[in-house]
Amino acid sequence: MKTTKYAVLGGMGGGAGEELSTPRGPLRGGFPEFYGMSPTRLLPRLAAAAAFLAFAAQAAPVRTERVEAELHAEKAAAVAGKPATVGLRLKHDEHWHTYWKNPGDSGLPTKIKWTLPEGWTAGAFQWPHPERLPFGPLVNYGYSGETMLLAELTPPANAKPGPVTITGDADWLVCSDVCIPEKASLRLEFAVAEGDPAPRSGETARFAKARASVPARTEGWKAESTMAGGLLTVRFVPPEGAVAPGKAFFFPDRESFIEPAAPQSLTRDGGGFRLAVKLAQPELKDIGTVAGVIVTEGAWPDLPGRKAVEIAAPLVASFPAPAAALPVPDAPAPAGSGGSLAAALAFAFLGGILLNLMPCVFPVLGIKVMGFVKHAHGDSRALWMQGVVFSAGVLVSFLVLAGLLLALRAGGAQLGWGFQLQSPAFVTLLAALFFLMALNLFGVFEWGGFAQSMTSNVSAQGRYADAFLAGVLATLVATPCTAPFMGAAVGFTLAQPAAISLAVFAMLGVGMALPVLALSLFPGALKRLPRPGPWMETFKQVMAFPLFATVVWLAWVLGAQAGNDAVMMLLAGLLLLALAAWIYGRWAHSESLLRFVFAGAIAAAGLWLAWPHGALAPGTAQASVPRAGEVPWQAWSPEKLAELRAAGTPVFVDFTAAWCVTCQVNKRVALNREEVVKAFADRGVVPLKADWTNHDPRITAALAELGRNALPVYAFYAPGAAQPKLLPEVLTASIVVDELSRLPAPKQAAVPATPKN
Amino acid sequence: MKTVRLVCAAAIAAAFVPAAFANAPAGSAAPAFTLTDLAGKAVKLADFKGKTVVLEWHNFGCPFVQKHYRSGNMQALQKKYGGEVVWLAVNSTNAGHQDYMKPEALTKTLTDFGAAPAKYLMDEPGAVGLAYGAKTTPHMYVIDGTGKVVYNGAIDDNRSANPADVKGAKNYVAVALEDMKAGKPVSTPSTTPYGCTIKYK
Repeated sequence: MKTTKYAVLGGMGGGAGEELSTPRGPLRGGFPEFYGMSPTRLLPRLAAAAAFLAFAAQAAPVRTERVEAELHAEKAAAVAGKPATVGLRLKHDEHWHTYWKNPGDSGLPTKIKWTLPEGWTAGAFQWPHPERLPFGPLVNYGYSGETMLLAELTPPANAKPGPVTITGDADWLVCSDVCIPEKASLRLEFAVAEGDPAPRSGETARFAKARASVPARTEGWKAESTMAGGLLTVRFVPPEGAVAPGKAFFFPDRESFIEPAAPQSLTRDGGGFRLAVKLAQPELKDIGTVAGVIVTEGAWPDLPGRKAVEIAAPLVASFPAPAAALPVPDAPAPAGSGGSLAAALAFAFLGGILLNLMPCVFPVLGIKVMGFVKHAHGDSRALWMQGVVFSAGVLVSFLVLAGLLLALRAGGAQLGWGFQLQSPAFVTLLAALFFLMALNLFGVFEWGGFAQSMTSNVSAQGRYADAFLAGVLATLVATPCTAPFMGAAVGFTLAQPAAISLAVFAMLGVGMALPVLALSLFPGALKRLPRPGPWMETFKQVMAFPLFATVVWLAWVLGAQAGNDAVMMLLAGLLLLALAAWIYGRWAHSESLLRFVFAGAIAAAGLWLAWPHGALAPGTAQASVPRAGEVPWQAWSPEKLAELRAAGTPVFVDFTAAWCVTCQVNKRVALNREEVVKAFADRGVVPLKADWTNHDPRITAALAELGRNALPVYAFYAPGAAQPKLLPEVLTASIVVDELSRLPAPKQAAVPATPKN
Repeated sequence: MKTVRLVCAAAIAAAFVPAAFANAPAGSAAPAFTLTDLAGKAVKLADFKGKTVVLEWHNFGCPFVQKHYRSGNMQALQKKYGGEVVWLAVNSTNAGHQDYMKPEALTKTLTDFGAAPAKYLMDEPGAVGLAYGAKTTPHMYVIDGTGKVVYNGAIDDNRSANPADVKGAKNYVAVALEDMKAGKPVSTPSTTPYGCTIKYK
């Protein structure tokens, strides 16, 4: 890596030209690699010069350090007075890119200065539509691979037939994770012809392709925009019968106008669509028309082969209320996962019911149900009131959590469902809370907190408060356990307008609250259980064990997030909490203030000790050495994935996190199986692991591209396939093996799927 | 008992707030920070209350930063205004990136270039850069004595990496500082920064 650095910095001296002849002497010691032209720079330039002489009859590609550049003419000659199309072709080295006219968060647009024969004029670049180029928390707009910027050159009406030389001095900024300003003087031997010049083989197709990537200018489209609450919303109405684009992105012409990295939400609005995106500067006043490009995933139906449309949307105060604000599925949704609102609601409901069986929710519910047993033989009205209040607790906390998530995402944060468990502080607090609850169940101390509802006869009001809190708690711990069906629903819903998202989350809450609510409404079922008695104390104590098990799991999550030391501090902190709880319980009947002082001080010390100090860097937690019989995962990164796909290597990506229980189950039952490991090796499939245990915006963005926002997600990229295939959340070994066995058996020995690290 | 619940709830709510890419547009309060300088000493923004502070996002590996140092432009500004304002260079390059330089290497290179920021601050985790919404190197901020951001954007109006382009460019930071000296509001409070992407983690 270090040697490239020097070559890159050398590129500054060479690529940007020799005019950088500012003071050298005293600086040499500090930065020797700035100066002088390294052989790696000199040779390509000499080669380019030689090539230039050899092919002077036409144009010759010029090779800079990271780019191959060449001028092309569509036809062999121009006609006097008529525009002729030429193109600046840029072929980037792998992982390198240049920029669109609005480069996004950073970068510079490519420029060209034409030197033309007398009387000729040159038009501006016709920019192909850009792609989003994420870099850490930033997103740039530009081009990778090969692109061609078109321009029209027009000879004067009185131009005489004969050869002419066109020169274009182009400069561009080419970046990967470092940037190099490069330039090239490009020459095109061109001509003015009398008759209509013949098309040139090879160039016709090249120019047709380039034209198709230039955003279409359309007549029949209507567009308008509005700015409110820090959001820009662009409403566009294609002519009749437009099919919903799977995904659409708005790229504004103007820089520093929107946040390039913010997610954009697409909704259907009558016959048209709305795209909402976060503004970079809400106070911009000097805008009358929002101009830019809308790029979709597939072609527009009335514009065959065109993915991008140019729009100019006049700014209006507000839009009319939408005729029918229907969501647009954030494709590609896998079959059966539900792209419509009704299906999303149904799946959310089912997913909510299933949440009750998840290991992180079960202890909380067990305690709750036990509370019902106590009351089941008494006042049925009080019982169902408890059920209703519990349900309200679940519902309200689902809505609050979803609202918070939506608000934070609107604020530009790249977050997903279960995000609170990405915070080591939250994991620590949850562990401390569960630990105290378990001690309470053991009878170490009595404390009118969450756990009291099932043990004591407090006032009705207190019971309701506890039922509500039990609902809140159940929801908080349920979110990381994405039940089957929920992945698609949550991914779908987060791309929708707030009202629809909230409806889906509310449905999730209804599903989750339903079993408990049903029990409270039909106490007959509960009456079959034994009457309250000493068995309840036993049951209560037994329920402490699943809680301790949850603490063990949370400690493990924390270990993956913040390392071994954090676990140690957590356990030491829990020890102090136990001491505090014991003091509080042992002298429960003491009137002395000392009891509170000691218990409080020790508990505070425990929390202080356990409090985590920052998470590990994303990626550090996943560098583990594979053991025999395990899938040899390599660390995922967008670059790594692109590199493997470009090489035609099949890739299997496991989007996972330590706090995702379904992920851990799948890992054991479906992935780390002999036949799966063998299938990976036999078919030459490279397994990549994207670990979302800690907040990582790159993974959030990658999930959003797959239409997901919750774990687990398994994406299989077959060679040559445009889109990955998403495998079910509930994975079995045979699903994976079946999927992999569809690949043709490799001709030679399988590509060894061994990790690099 | 109620208080216990409230404290619990507040603590849980606090834990929800993640590190996110924020912004410090002109007119907003400058986010507070504490960073360490090259000698490992803690430096707080609050230390400079009452003084004008210039923040310069920096990375010697970036050609755009090199442009302003090889032309002597940035050093000249640092020296010219060093008496009246506190010039803080901030480096948010992550330690795993090839552009990352250790404090010792930075100290030497700064000396070799004759650079004169009041302090050079290491923001290795990138938290301060993210809080300010710093996007490029260089990305410049001017903060007035009351702690308000009065300029946010590019160093000048010639968006190139060529040191020869410094001449003739309109230097937005110099303009802002002169406006402030004259007791006027900053005439161009925000521009689009240009340069290399900051190498955040």
